[in-house]
Amino acid sequence: MSEIALTVQSLQKSFKDQQVLHDVSFNVRKGEITALLGPNGAGKSTTIRSIMGILYPDHGTIKFHGEKEGQIPKHKIGYLPEERGLYKNVKIMDILLYFAELKDYPLKRAKERALSYLKKFGLEGKDKVSIEELSKGMGQKVQFIASIIHEPELLILDEPFSGLDPVSQEVFKEEIRELARNGTAILLSAHQMNLVEEMADRLIMIHKGREVISGTMDEVKRQYASFKCTIHGQNEEKKLQAIPFVNRVEQHDNVSVLFLDQNLKAADWIRKLPADIHIEEFRLDRVSLHEIFIDVASDRTLAAEEEEKYA
Amino acid sequence: MRNSLKVARWEFKRNVKNKSFVISLLLTPVLFILFATLPTLLSGSGSDDDPVNVSVSDPSGIWAEQIEPFVTSADLNWETSVVNASPDEWEAGLEEDESAVYLALDEAALRNGQVTYYTTDETPDSFAGEVQLLAAPLQQMNLQNAGLSDEQMAAVTNGVQFNAEELSDSEQATADSGLNELARIIPGAFAGLILFSIVMTGMMIFQSASQEKKEKVSEIVLSSLTPSDLMQGKIIGYFWLGMLQVGVWLLIAFPFVIWRFNDLPIMEYLFVPELALLIVIALIGYLLFAALFVGLGATIEDMSSTSNFQGLVMMLPFSPVILIGPILSDPNGIAAQVGSYIPFTSPAVLIMRLSLLEEWPWVEIAIGISILILSVWLFMKLAGKIFEVGILLYGKNASMGDMMKWIRS
Repeated sequence: MSEIALTVQSLQKSFKDQQVLHDVSFNVRKGEITALLGPNGAGKSTTIRSIMGILYPDHGTIKFHGEKEGQIPKHKIGYLPEERGLYKNVKIMDILLYFAELKDYPLKRAKERALSYLKKFGLEGKDKVSIEELSKGMGQKVQFIASIIHEPELLILDEPFSGLDPVSQEVFKEEIRELARNGTAILLSAHQMNLVEEMADRLIMIHKGREVISGTMDEVKRQYASFKCTIHGQNEEKKLQAIPFVNRVEQHDNVSVLFLDQNLKAADWIRKLPADIHIEEFRLDRVSLHEIFIDVASDRTLAAEEEEKYA
Repeated sequence: MRNSLKVARWEFKRNVKNKSFVISLLLTPVLFILFATLPTLLSGSGSDDDPVNVSVSDPSGIWAEQIEPFVTSADLNWETSVVNASPDEWEAGLEEDESAVYLALDEAALRNGQVTYYTTDETPDSFAGEVQLLAAPLQQMNLQNAGLSDEQMAAVTNGVQFNAEELSDSEQATADSGLNELARIIPGAFAGLILFSIVMTGMMIFQSASQEKKEKVSEIVLSSLTPSDLMQGKIIGYFWLGMLQVGVWLLIAFPFVIWRFNDLPIMEYLFVPELALLIVIALIGYLLFAALFVGLGATIEDMSSTSNFQGLVMMLPFSPVILIGPILSDPNGIAAQVGSYIPFTSPAVLIMRLSLLEEWPWVEIAIGISILILSVWLFMKLAGKIFEVGILLYGKNASMGDMMKWIRS
């Protein structure tokens, strides 16, 4: 298992009388992408801002390995906040060098890296152009370069894909993977579950300030993601609900989606399906991270767990 | 401090490369020179182009010997000639649009002291004042004709004058009072210029902090340094910018000032020990306003919807303007004294008073500066608290209540 770069332990934070973080704990490891997920208002940005020392947690510890407790090695961290922008009337190269200087990174090397990344992101020759002359997507690429210009050991990305077109998303995705391959510890907060599912090695999902899911991607899928069965054909919901291992049924027109129990043995279950079900088309898939996210965000999983607990 | 200096360098470089800053930097001294010279040039050029043709009717033959030397020495823009024509004949001989005057110095006029002159439409209004210069030689001539001695004539023409003299070192004071005033005013004006310049660039801190919020760049910057580093960096950066402004202004305007006032030892008057104290007052004043502006800037994202409170704060550096009149009329008066103790007015008031007063009120200066330093400390603390939270509050302007909450937290 890779070396831990950051440990967040029992983080708690309240604004006015409302507690927005309840004992959130996780690790971020070198060479891995850890996804921090959760619906809007779950407490992701508060967690990230606490890590960055922009907000002070009420309780809990944040430990950067290799540093004294409570010390934030800002020059070793790259940060792309959710609410972000750049000085409008300044040349791109000047901005990038300023951020590199703030991180105590050698300016000569920063310039070389800036030119190389601008080329990589299709912005070659734009180093003397001011931000106000760029499109929103181009501006976001510059913001991304600014966050990694100093070769950070820990990179924190809060919604890096928001507002990007699919092509740019792909470019960012590849670059983030490349950074992780080169040993950077990455904490990624995003709403694009398909991208997270493709990229993340680990994830922690928080909801209403509480940790609800955590582990490696495989562990989470094993733990939470069972199968779902999609049947095209005219069937009564009641009949489908009565099939063993079916937890929930969703119907739209002639399409029924059966969410199945985690302990299901797929082949057995297919063999034992009632013969009178009308099937025009049949598909059995793993439930995606997107669906787990929706379940969590809409409290379905939590409700189901509670039910199980008190059953 | 290292991080603050990085921010300061950035703010300095960013503005120095900004076209509008460069234009205003160069334009201000040019406008100053223009305003200082243009009126003189214009009035000078007008009189050079169109001299007034003064035709003098001089049956007594006094003009050439007794009056004309006065006209020559007064350097009036007159073209004089003695004529024998009557006013009607003179008028008939005039050219169209001619700026001309007919001056009748006949015996009756001289005897009665009522000299009539005829003008054309083009005669400048200033002639009415200029012609009064002839009153003295004409009166002297009349007195001479009446048989008065030189002493009697002097007694009549000089009149009575009241001259003020202070008891202390009266002899020297009388001789050098004009020069002493200048010697005090020049360092004061220099310190005033520094105060004006750095407070004006200090107002740019407000824009800078507000813009940083608006462009949502503060969170990225704060991932590398602390809010107090950022705040201090801005204050230092805009101070450098103000000093650069003073330097450029002086570089452009100084040769002009030296040329215009070449008879005054300006450098000698400027570099005096008092200048150091005046500059210190200006710098402390800058720190006070810089703290106000940086704190305020962090509370405002949308300039178009600022509250009355924020508008009032922006007006504070101009508050000493209302005290200029009272201070000029009495630099030791109650208004001047009170103004020296109010932190927002004290930098300008102290500089003004110290430029006018021969004897400096050291106790008042010490109290004024102490209050100022204490206020700088207090406002820096408050601004730091407001800046720390305000700079990250995106999407809305902070209310007075918000600010109070941040200060108390």
